[in-house]
Amino acid sequence: MQPISNSTEVSGEAPASAKRRSFLGVVIGLIWSAVTATLGVTIGRYSIAPALSSTGTSEWADVGLLDEIPEGKPVKRSVVVSQNAGWGRFNSQRLVWVTRKGEQITVFSAACPHLGCTINEAANGFICPCHGSAWNADGEKLGGPTPRGMDVLEHRVEGDMLKVKYQYFKQGAAQKEQVG
Amino acid sequence: MSAFASRLAKVADWLDERAGIKRLTRSALDEPIRGGARWAYVFGSTLVFLFAIQAVTGMLLAIYYVPSADHAHASVAYIQKAVPGGALLRGLHYYGASAMVIIVVAHITQTFLYGAYKGKRELLWVVGGVLFILVLGFAFTGYLLPWDQEAYFGTKVGTSIAGEVPLVGPLSQRIMLGGTELTTLTLSRFFTAHVFLLPLALGLLLVLHIYLFRRAGAAGPFHNKDDQRVERFYPKQLFKDSIFIFIIFLSLLLLAEIMPAELGPQADPTSDFLARPAWYFLPLFQLLKYFPGKLSLIPTVVLPAVLFGLIFLLPFLDRRAERNPVRRPVATAILIFSLTGAVGLIVLSKYEDRANPEFSAKLKQQDEEAKAFLKTAFQPQEIGRSVPITAPQVANPAEAGSTPLKIFFANCANCHGADATGGPIGPSLINLARARNLTFDYLTRWIAGHGREPSADSMPRYKQLTEEERGELADWLLKLDKPVEQAASESQTSGDGEPPAAFSANCALCHGDRAEGNIGPSLIGVTSKPNRTEEDLLKLLNNPRAFGLKDPMPASFPALTEDDKRAIVEWLDRLKPK
Repeated sequence: MQPISNSTEVSGEAPASAKRRSFLGVVIGLIWSAVTATLGVTIGRYSIAPALSSTGTSEWADVGLLDEIPEGKPVKRSVVVSQNAGWGRFNSQRLVWVTRKGEQITVFSAACPHLGCTINEAANGFICPCHGSAWNADGEKLGGPTPRGMDVLEHRVEGDMLKVKYQYFKQGAAQKEQVG
Repeated sequence: MSAFASRLAKVADWLDERAGIKRLTRSALDEPIRGGARWAYVFGSTLVFLFAIQAVTGMLLAIYYVPSADHAHASVAYIQKAVPGGALLRGLHYYGASAMVIIVVAHITQTFLYGAYKGKRELLWVVGGVLFILVLGFAFTGYLLPWDQEAYFGTKVGTSIAGEVPLVGPLSQRIMLGGTELTTLTLSRFFTAHVFLLPLALGLLLVLHIYLFRRAGAAGPFHNKDDQRVERFYPKQLFKDSIFIFIIFLSLLLLAEIMPAELGPQADPTSDFLARPAWYFLPLFQLLKYFPGKLSLIPTVVLPAVLFGLIFLLPFLDRRAERNPVRRPVATAILIFSLTGAVGLIVLSKYEDRANPEFSAKLKQQDEEAKAFLKTAFQPQEIGRSVPITAPQVANPAEAGSTPLKIFFANCANCHGADATGGPIGPSLINLARARNLTFDYLTRWIAGHGREPSADSMPRYKQLTEEERGELADWLLKLDKPVEQAASESQTSGDGEPPAAFSANCALCHGDRAEGNIGPSLIGVTSKPNRTEEDLLKLLNNPRAFGLKDPMPASFPALTEDDKRAIVEWLDRLKPK
């Protein structure tokens, strides 16, 4: 059996069948449009919607007993931050700096507002080792590339326990702006 | 012609001059079909479509799927229950797999009946046979990926069958498993095969298959009378293909909507799950029942080897030009025998499961458990330690049999649970002190109730404990990082003696061989509990109902002598964490 060459006489070329040919073409087009549209919409919802949904605001995390926050000297504490990411709820550690002046407690995020490095303690305040940004003991900007002062986190005291609501803020912005 | 249309035509021309798309489209659509378009020819295109669906939905599933024994099940549950459109896409993939097996068989059957492997089409047919094996490989490797009960036990049986093949079996089983056991490494291997190796192989061979087909040309109908009539692929054959594909697509969508793809509870290697393979492997499964022991090689090795040997050799053995199935009685009879045999074995295995009351009850229960799991809302998996790294660091976990453990059982276990993981009233104490950065001083004060308002919580003030006892308890709580029962059962291995025979015969079935608990609760440390002293237990064994114990605890133990009871109770008391 030989392959059929294109010169073989082919039926269905008569003008009378042209109408049928175009009708079939329309049906074929509709079918494939429907298949593509159904898949397209589903794929769009599936792959994009979860990326736009909220990651879930962080709950109050324990920082430690209030008694153990010393006067005048900042202490570094890790808090457990729970974040929903798809199939998991991820508990990860984040660092905060806690300062106390009498009754006045302040909890700073240890993430540098510039590019997110971890802020260290310095002689009379804080410094970021990556690009040399500096803040005073109240977290106010002294110098360096940081666009703003250290980010203050919301805290509260429950019984003896100091708690913090850990949040993320937009890096590089002049004003503190929450993300997520 | 509108301005837009003419602009479109210009773009098409531009592309055509560079990429030759017009010629490509023409050669695709103008494929000559000898004898004209037929519904019998729709299966090939449908398989290409189904492969595309599997590829697209598979890639999408991979956005969220994690090929690790720890997370695979959670990630599939997330796709199935939580992601918008996830159940639909997974349903398409799940039912698409079955559809592919069905349509492959239909495609082979049509080609076989029409004698379309004849006339210099040996390679085309052989490549098709390899494609069939690859489709089964997809089915086998994909089955494990959700890591639910069915996946785990089905694959365990499947790989064990492979291991029984003489000579090459044990080695190939090890290579498949990535070791001696079905572990997360197996999952990684199956995943790699399923999403990288097999798609690559199938894609390349599919291109070769289509190339060989276009080169040989459509065989046309087996009766030669209108052999001279030739139609182009477009429009009639494409129309028929599209209609059939659309029906298949709608069926898959409908199935995915009405009967969501199955997903049972996560794999539990300790359970007595009754494994049944996917329906397309049921013929093999059923045959295994008839060939026990060494004879099992007949269905697992000999029969598939003969079947695929026949398939591969068919175009070389059958050299006659005759294509009419009626005039090829032997070939047609073999086909009908194979197909009815396979279907018959599937039906038979289903029937036998249904006829056996034990199996049918177990399968029904498993099915209900899987359905119940699908109905429960998605629960994200808890990942990572929940204890801050700046929490007080401790050297040792709670030591079993220590003084603080005795204090715990006497005072705390009623509310916080015998294993300290939390009871009906009190919360879990595991890691509590570390998670909340609690100090020794704080805990000793808390236990005694100093600085606690009586109305603030329901926990009693343990002022009757001495300063020293509170200190020991606080120290112990600071270190407590695992359930107490675990610590207790560790101590148990270091010499409580073997359980008395009377215990093994009467109690072990429910309470575990070493009283560690099964259907019935653990009895380790039971004599520390209120109303469960040794004397109490002796009375309890005479009349469990009087102690508030309900069914399934028996109402009496007539088979036990007083000596038996004493032996059991004395042994149980030795289990008490000392």
